[in-house]
Amino acid sequence: MTDATMPALVAERRSACGAAFLDIRQGLARWRIWWLLGIGDVRQRYRRSRLGQFWLTLSMAIFVGSIGVLYANLFRQPIAEYLPYLSINFVVWSLMTGIMLDGGSAFTQSEGFLRQEAFPKSLFVIRVLVRHFVAFAHNVPVPIIVFWWFGKSPSWVILAAPAGLLLLGLAGFLVALASGILCTRFRDLPQILQSLVQVLFFVTPVTWIPEQLGARALDIVRLNPFALFLRLVADPVRGRLPPPSDYAAALLILLVMGAAVLPLFAKYRARIVYWL
Amino acid sequence: MASVTLRDVSVEFPVYQSRGRSLKTSVLRRVGAPIARNGNDVVVVRALDRVDLDIRSGERIALVGHNGAGKSTLLRVISGAYEPTGGMAHIRGKTSSLLDLSVGLDVELTGRENIVMRAVFLGMTFAEAARKVEEVTEFSELGDFIDLPMRSYSSGMILRLAFAVATSVQPEILLLDEIVGVGDANFSEKSRLRIDALIGKASVLVLASHNPEILRRYCDRAVLMRNGRIEARGSIDELLGMAGAL
Repeated sequence: MTDATMPALVAERRSACGAAFLDIRQGLARWRIWWLLGIGDVRQRYRRSRLGQFWLTLSMAIFVGSIGVLYANLFRQPIAEYLPYLSINFVVWSLMTGIMLDGGSAFTQSEGFLRQEAFPKSLFVIRVLVRHFVAFAHNVPVPIIVFWWFGKSPSWVILAAPAGLLLLGLAGFLVALASGILCTRFRDLPQILQSLVQVLFFVTPVTWIPEQLGARALDIVRLNPFALFLRLVADPVRGRLPPPSDYAAALLILLVMGAAVLPLFAKYRARIVYWL
Repeated sequence: MASVTLRDVSVEFPVYQSRGRSLKTSVLRRVGAPIARNGNDVVVVRALDRVDLDIRSGERIALVGHNGAGKSTLLRVISGAYEPTGGMAHIRGKTSSLLDLSVGLDVELTGRENIVMRAVFLGMTFAEAARKVEEVTEFSELGDFIDLPMRSYSSGMILRLAFAVATSVQPEILLLDEIVGVGDANFSEKSRLRIDALIGKASVLVLASHNPEILRRYCDRAVLMRNGRIEARGSIDELLGMAGAL
């Protein structure tokens, strides 16, 4: 609600930037809505199936198990090393790309709500994050079981993983917000993003181990922000603490993304509903 | 105090043809491909054209005009869903628009889950929403169906549920696009009473309708819209006469 002491006409002349921040603040404040919508999304997909949302866990287990065994043979890696490596990587990778791809439909999917009432737009972006973090929580048992099976107990370094997840979540919010705005305006973009993610899967060390592919591979990894955020979550789980330079790079990327995405949001926030 | 102040409000819709929407054309246009000479594909529809409107607490406004005159767009601006592309809108007070009753209903969820979802959307806490379930169930006469998924409902049951939830919160500014009649004779009488109570307690009512009787019953002044503009303001009978003559 607007401040009652402010003259009515002045109150509306907030800057577009102020309105954008207000939108995000109000979006966060209406947590009950995005929480219900987010978990509803996960539930709904598996409603009426016997295993329900645990299909997420099961299909992740099947994928990691089969690809793990196959690639361990192809890459001539000991399974006891490779399977844990792949399991945590792939779970984090699904989280990252899920947010990015689904962010594109954040607004188009919520058309009914947006045309009916003055909802904060950010609310529907946070809903996408909730959906994928909940799915992530369902997937986490897979690497836990794999690590336990091969007798790898985590060291104290694993405590750095939540920090990586937080950074990934912030980056995910900005990416999903940008992707939501642009995909609503340009309806070909979701398809483009889809193919982009497929390519990214191969240039990001999800299935392969950069140290074994020589200097070239290391260069690719160094320039790839997806590899960075993947490392920030997955490495601590494997008992490797990412160097401070990784955290600095992540913060820098967040700053740059914020500087690009927030003005975009400020400028087009009010237009989104007209593009639906 | 609830009030609505619109100054010089315009709403312009870009209508993108599939070509105008694709990134390719946008890039090509920038690069200066010949496509640019055909003009761009974007058709702009001016749904509201410099509308000035002041509504004070206690007023009941009838929106009159033909289909496509801008009545629904104006309602959406007042609801806050559309931020004007030109001019300025200031809306003070909690609005509720019964423009689309079934928005946000999910047929895979049970009636109960849907009620909680809608109630939370309307700003309630989970506890308040849970309390609302009883009242809504009783009003909508759903009985034990409330714990079954909504896909097992008849269309009448869905409408009754939607109506019962949407009208379960008292707004200060009530926006209606036609009065919705729901269900059989018995229920439609009940729903009329509920709407009457809602209107009675709202401090501002804006009602768009083609039905003279309904407008006379609920409203005390009228605004005639035409081509996105406010053509005239005055008494309901006067403007209905004008609307008929247009």
